[in-house]
Amino acid sequence: MEEHLKIKNKLEPVVSEITDWPIYKLSQDKDSFLKEIVDRTSSSLLETYDDANTLHSELKSVLYQEKNRLTKEPWKSDSPEERIFWSEVKRKILLTDKIEDDKKKFKEDKKILISILDYYSNEIVAHFDPKKYRVARKVLPFLFSRLMNASPGKKLKFLFNSKKTIYDKFNITGPIDHIRNLSKKGTVIIVPTHFSNIDSPTIGLVIDIIGLPAMTYGAGINLFTIGILSRWLNDLGAYKLDRRRKNKTYLELLKNYSTVAITRGAHSLFFPGGTRSRSGQIEKKLKLGLLGTALEAQRENLLNFQEDTAKKIYIVPVVLNYHFVIEASSLINQHLAIEGKEQYLPGKEDYSTSYKLIKLIFKVLTANPGMTISFASPMDVVGNEVDFEGNSINNINQNVNIKDYFTVNGVMTEDKQRDNVYTSMLGEKIVEKFLSANTVLSSHLIAFVAFELIQKEFKNLDIYQLLRIPVDEIEIDAEIFKVEVNNIKEKIMDLYAEGKLRIHDRLKGENEVIIKHGLKNLGVYHPQLPLLEKANGDLITEDLKVLYFYHNRLSGYGLAEHFK
Amino acid sequence: MDSQSTLNKYGVIGAGSFGIAIANLLAENGEVLLYTRTEEQTNEINKTHRSKDYALNERIRATNDFKEIAEECFLIFPIVPSDSFVEMLEEFAPYLKPSHILIHGTKGLYTPKKISKEVELKKNEVFTMSELIKIKTGVVRIGCLAGPNLASELSENQPAATVIASEFNEVIELGQKALRSSRFQVYGSNELLGVELAGVLKNYVAIASGMLTGLGYGENARALLITRGMAELIYVAKALGASEKAFLGLAGIGDLIATCNSPKSRNYSVGLMLAEGKKLDEIVASIGEVAEGIKTLQIVRALQKYGYKAPLAEILYKIVFEDLPIKKGIDFLMRFTIEKDADYIV
Repeated sequence: MEEHLKIKNKLEPVVSEITDWPIYKLSQDKDSFLKEIVDRTSSSLLETYDDANTLHSELKSVLYQEKNRLTKEPWKSDSPEERIFWSEVKRKILLTDKIEDDKKKFKEDKKILISILDYYSNEIVAHFDPKKYRVARKVLPFLFSRLMNASPGKKLKFLFNSKKTIYDKFNITGPIDHIRNLSKKGTVIIVPTHFSNIDSPTIGLVIDIIGLPAMTYGAGINLFTIGILSRWLNDLGAYKLDRRRKNKTYLELLKNYSTVAITRGAHSLFFPGGTRSRSGQIEKKLKLGLLGTALEAQRENLLNFQEDTAKKIYIVPVVLNYHFVIEASSLINQHLAIEGKEQYLPGKEDYSTSYKLIKLIFKVLTANPGMTISFASPMDVVGNEVDFEGNSINNINQNVNIKDYFTVNGVMTEDKQRDNVYTSMLGEKIVEKFLSANTVLSSHLIAFVAFELIQKEFKNLDIYQLLRIPVDEIEIDAEIFKVEVNNIKEKIMDLYAEGKLRIHDRLKGENEVIIKHGLKNLGVYHPQLPLLEKANGDLITEDLKVLYFYHNRLSGYGLAEHFK
Repeated sequence: MDSQSTLNKYGVIGAGSFGIAIANLLAENGEVLLYTRTEEQTNEINKTHRSKDYALNERIRATNDFKEIAEECFLIFPIVPSDSFVEMLEEFAPYLKPSHILIHGTKGLYTPKKISKEVELKKNEVFTMSELIKIKTGVVRIGCLAGPNLASELSENQPAATVIASEFNEVIELGQKALRSSRFQVYGSNELLGVELAGVLKNYVAIASGMLTGLGYGENARALLITRGMAELIYVAKALGASEKAFLGLAGIGDLIATCNSPKSRNYSVGLMLAEGKKLDEIVASIGEVAEGIKTLQIVRALQKYGYKAPLAEILYKIVFEDLPIKKGIDFLMRFTIEKDADYIV
């Protein structure tokens, strides 16, 4: 098992001057950056919409969908100018409707397409303001750490006792030095698991803690609604995604935004699972669209630059783990609804506004013994391991040249279908790394054992029937529970020794202590507790679904077979 | 690699009858470097342009050096028996890079476990040849050749066709460009696993077909065997994670018909000899190797506890390895077949 660095303190920034950060340069070159994005998108779209009719009908369909969005799914974040813009587009489309000459029509429609792309790109684009970033990086951890130390009743002086810092709350593991070094050599793309709304701020802060420059990343446009968070996100380099928009023109533009940012050396972050994991499980299927932009950018870097200057792109999977996910209940309900066996129950919690989200962050940080952030070892864009200097090492330990993956008969070629196959290979590798970097927490262990025991007790029921039985019919014998925790922990230790997962330090302690710690922390702030101890030591649950949610964190390792 | 000097230069690994047939087809579209195991064979081919019974196109040059092939060719066709495939890959791997493309033509399965009657296999203990390439080399762009391609007919320039399967369209296209000619058509498929399994699994049905001929049975029986055999192969393939798609194409039903009807097929001849009362070791001695169909049979049977029914494989295994009289076996199969017709189509 490779030894992983644990961060005790904030690390020196890899690049000390914020004005030398790629994300700042991107922001400085905004005009040429946006122009490149629009040019690329229009030329790739016009390959598909290559005659007057198809282009014209695509424009009409974009307009139709946008009008629909504005009337049927309006959000506060929608700018009032949007209506004016789309009315103008409508007027122009009606004009080109009447043009009979195909050539002329195509020419006019092209102008409309470009105007839409311009509009989209200006809406999406991130700003990055070093001053604001400097303020944020100082203020945020300060706020966080003060809040975490402050518990009700404590006197004010505790607020200024700086012995305990925010870094104690973050349990960061992984080859951090390696990743820092790669950020100097090439472009780093961080791909975390997605479990909770607090993942974005968490990872943002952690990136600063380990001294990496700020990353380009996409945030849902709904997070931009309310004052302070909106400004923060924007000034900290987040670009805006509108998940309501599904039209190809928009999606193509988004992909190009990411590709161009990466080719311009901006370290990036995206959640490859797309949305939060509803089931609580580590993502098994990834969304390959954004991931593919990393590959495309790598190919272009190789095409456009000499081999020794072409920037290499490194993929770093990260697993985030918490004892407590405040949205657990609504997530698991949505998961069950999506699986189709239960009526849709709208989530209780909704963190669509920044106020609620900030409150959530504080709540989790103050409530929790911390968060575990596990960095996996970095890979190249086709899923090879890379060494400290960034050289690719393939499955049979050969040093390989990334360029060789893109050549035919010695010549680099562009092939979208090939890109797609490589991207899905990369996706599989990321999923493997998620599993092996996943850190077992005491709470996840006990949730796993408890739920499996319940499932074995009612083995004739399928999962949906099981989740519907009244919770007061469920009781787990204390002795059996201890035996199985012991047993499953041993299996986990075996997997740990094989490098197939990571464990929290606490798991190295006595089993009694682990169980106690797990019970104390498992989903503590849920109104109904997923697992609690009766006076005689037997275990009961108040919310089986939420227990199932936390249990799922350890599925995918074949642990269930090992019960006695 | 200089792009001009390697234009249209293809590599073939293995100078058996099928390897030579493929080399001859490739030579119609370019130059060919053919790897042979021994230096003598290399010299013989380069001197006489013949190997055993086969004539070789003048554009084929033999070599005994893996490094030379890796350096001169980016598109290479490994066509060696499944028994020596791993060894070949281990020797070849140091010279291969991700820029190489390999399209293999070996119809076999590999397991590192020693097979005996008691051994049970898991899915992840059985490998197709493309899986071996993936594990043992740094090559990622991989394809396979499968279809009704009896080497002797190819060498007589009779019209025929093949399928190239790969996840990568470019592998299919490059393979088509290299192999296509007026007498040889090349189809493409993205179902790599399905096509490989179709090519492999059919071998034991061919043994059964040879037996039917040996017993003097006619075409009703053979048609029954081919259709029900096909259904069985599809169940096995699905259990191993492939789709049925490939089985309805050239690599599936096409290959099955050809091998089940041809005395030129090695597996068919094995069945014929079994029906004549010969024992397996006599047969191995007379044809000089264990036919792929026999190995496939052992693997399919060892996998059987995996959750599929393969009555044909089970009975054949008993006939070959446990001296079950053939007639008895056939009786059993006739009574066993109770499924619906063509129930593998959903």
